[in-house]
Amino acid sequence: MQGPLIDTLARQGVTRRTFLKYCATLASMMALPPSAGRAMAEAMAAARRPSVIWLPFQECTGCTESITRSHSPTLEGMIFDMISLDYQVTIMAAAGHQAEEALRNAMLENDGKYLLVVDGSIPMGDPGYGTHGGHSFVDHLQQAAKGAAAIIAVGTCASYGGIPKANPNPTGAVSVSDIIKDKPIVNIPGCPPIPVVMTGVLAHYLTFGSLPELDAKGRPKAFFGETIHDRCYRRPFYDQGKFAKTFDDEGARRGWCLFELGCKGPVTYNACATVKWNGGTSWPVESGHGCLGCSEPDFWDAGGFYKALSVPADPLKLAAAAAVVGAGAGVAVSFANRAKKGAAKKAHQPITLADLEK
Amino acid sequence: MSASLDKVTQTLKEVIDAPIASYFDSCVHCGLCAEACLFYTETGDPKYTPIHKVEPLRRVYEQEYTLLGRLMKMVGLSKPITDEELGEWQELVYDSCTLCGRCSMVCPVGNDIVYMVRKFREGMAVSGHVPDGIRGATKRTVEIGGPMGLKWPAVANVLRKAEEATGVTIPVDKEGADYLVLLSSMEIVNYPEYIEALAKIFHKAGISFTLASDAFEATNAGIQIGASDLAKVIVTRIVDAAERLKVKYVLSPECGHAYMAIRWEGPNLIGRPFGFKVVHVLELLDQLRQEGVLKMKGMFKDPLILHDPCQIVRRGGVLQAPEALIRQVAENYIPIADQQKWNWCCGGGGGASAIHTEEAEALRAKAFGVKKRQIEEAGVGTMVTFCANCRITIEEALDHYEMNTKLLGLTELLAEHLED
Repeated sequence: MQGPLIDTLARQGVTRRTFLKYCATLASMMALPPSAGRAMAEAMAAARRPSVIWLPFQECTGCTESITRSHSPTLEGMIFDMISLDYQVTIMAAAGHQAEEALRNAMLENDGKYLLVVDGSIPMGDPGYGTHGGHSFVDHLQQAAKGAAAIIAVGTCASYGGIPKANPNPTGAVSVSDIIKDKPIVNIPGCPPIPVVMTGVLAHYLTFGSLPELDAKGRPKAFFGETIHDRCYRRPFYDQGKFAKTFDDEGARRGWCLFELGCKGPVTYNACATVKWNGGTSWPVESGHGCLGCSEPDFWDAGGFYKALSVPADPLKLAAAAAVVGAGAGVAVSFANRAKKGAAKKAHQPITLADLEK
Repeated sequence: MSASLDKVTQTLKEVIDAPIASYFDSCVHCGLCAEACLFYTETGDPKYTPIHKVEPLRRVYEQEYTLLGRLMKMVGLSKPITDEELGEWQELVYDSCTLCGRCSMVCPVGNDIVYMVRKFREGMAVSGHVPDGIRGATKRTVEIGGPMGLKWPAVANVLRKAEEATGVTIPVDKEGADYLVLLSSMEIVNYPEYIEALAKIFHKAGISFTLASDAFEATNAGIQIGASDLAKVIVTRIVDAAERLKVKYVLSPECGHAYMAIRWEGPNLIGRPFGFKVVHVLELLDQLRQEGVLKMKGMFKDPLILHDPCQIVRRGGVLQAPEALIRQVAENYIPIADQQKWNWCCGGGGGASAIHTEEAEALRAKAFGVKKRQIEEAGVGTMVTFCANCRITIEEALDHYEMNTKLLGLTELLAEHLED
């Protein structure tokens, strides 16, 4: 599969028009100006397949599944096919020495130009916890990172350590950015991440030759700029104070806010609420379950998926208690003050003219 | 802590009552009272902000009666009041506060700042940080009988002259009269025409009245200095005389503070209701006007404005009578913008006019700026008022500014135009 991307796509039955539409959508999704869609299309259409090396570490392959195994072939999937995935141990045909050689060749041939995609966290507790061809994961990462133009950490494990890092973190798992400090790193967290975010970052890189703008946690702002809660279609119920109390109550049936059932939407930055999943079919909250906050660091240890972020105290009960305490204190203070004033009064000595003198 | 400071704190602890506590707690520090105070508007100095004038009192309240204040005092965050501080505050509490009550009117949370200043003066009085002028007046009132040191023979002399001028007998110590007439020393010395006017009006209306040889003085310097014990001594004389003579009414003279002292503070000072009613002379005159007794011959023609004395109008509640009476006698009465309860003080109330230090007199002259503007804006040559203390203060200020405004007393103006 050689030649420009557009030819490859055409061979797979994707028209130029469909591709342009896709690029325009992608551009708008990333909050780029409309002209960027066209620039993106031109750049991507003409792009030679960039060499991509994909290193899987402590992962479950869910991220790979998310991107490569859609229910029906999607444009994301196809574009993903179009990159020159020179090494992906999970899906590549080669194995053993041949695979190792492919990796070495790719690194040598595209030195300084290839993109390094990482999924999974890196165990630092013992090198033996994860090896490829006799080399530990951390060695692999450091070797591969040397010649990379940029690193894309796919999934929460690569981005922040993820589930392997969850308490008590038996393997000493860390994220890519904990180890690599001298390369541009884009985190695309999520368990798994949204496919279009992956292609969006790739498209940006191909079009502009740079990585998109990132937030404080290394995530592309275009997709992680707002919380799930702020874009959630159930938000109006939150504002009205209408909450589902259990998963089968009237509120749940009416589609009320899942905040009290532990939804982490208010503290989770991701694009699920707008992009949705499975080709825009649905997403967790729409299916009736609260957000787990999977795109946030340490989401597994954030205090229970079904525990509400904060439970508002019963304001009436609290007010009543406060009133009782306040009244009690008030009575005590007033008695003390009354005694004081009484004592002052008792000690009163009539003022005489002599008192007016200094 | 010195002995006298100890006494100050003790006194302030004693005077802080529920209103004071709630006033301090409800103050929102908006500063509106500053704009209501003539000492602030005329000088622009923020230290004259009325609520600031009771700052030491606030600190005592906080340190003695609030939990936070007590804690702060304990750890040294809130310093106890000092003698020097009180010395500094003397000017703010006496020279630059006439107890006029304009600040109390504008306070959005309803704090009666005058009430607070009045209470604070109790502490100031025992601290010894009081102006010599007021101290002397208090001393003379308690020891001799009036703030100017007048004794009865001198008063009797003035009364005799008034009898000669009017041809009306002025009864003294007459039991069973309707009205016990009180005077202020200022009227006896400076404005004896008030006495003549009163004699004429009483005679015309056929009302029986008397004076008491042992209680002729209506003013109460004890209140102005802030010594309730002494104020009580002074007011008790009047109460005793009125009850001995079995009068129905005690007639307060025009003097504003005298009215406030006998009418509003009096019963509180002696701790029981009076057996008689206190009436301000304008209230009586207005009643006579309504009854048709007060008939005028001829009218006063010159354009004039009215100066409403604070303690009679704003603080005293004699709101409608003055204007009705002035319209009775003046053809060209010009109502001014800030009148009645919104009037501006002459600058000499609350004992201030008795302070004769250079600074106090300069400040009073400056504070008069607002009245000066009122006179100039109205473009009149005559101002009428009904308080002897206002009159002397305004006259001094008119002299100071070399204005040739004529100043008249309302009662005399009425008496002059009374139908024979």
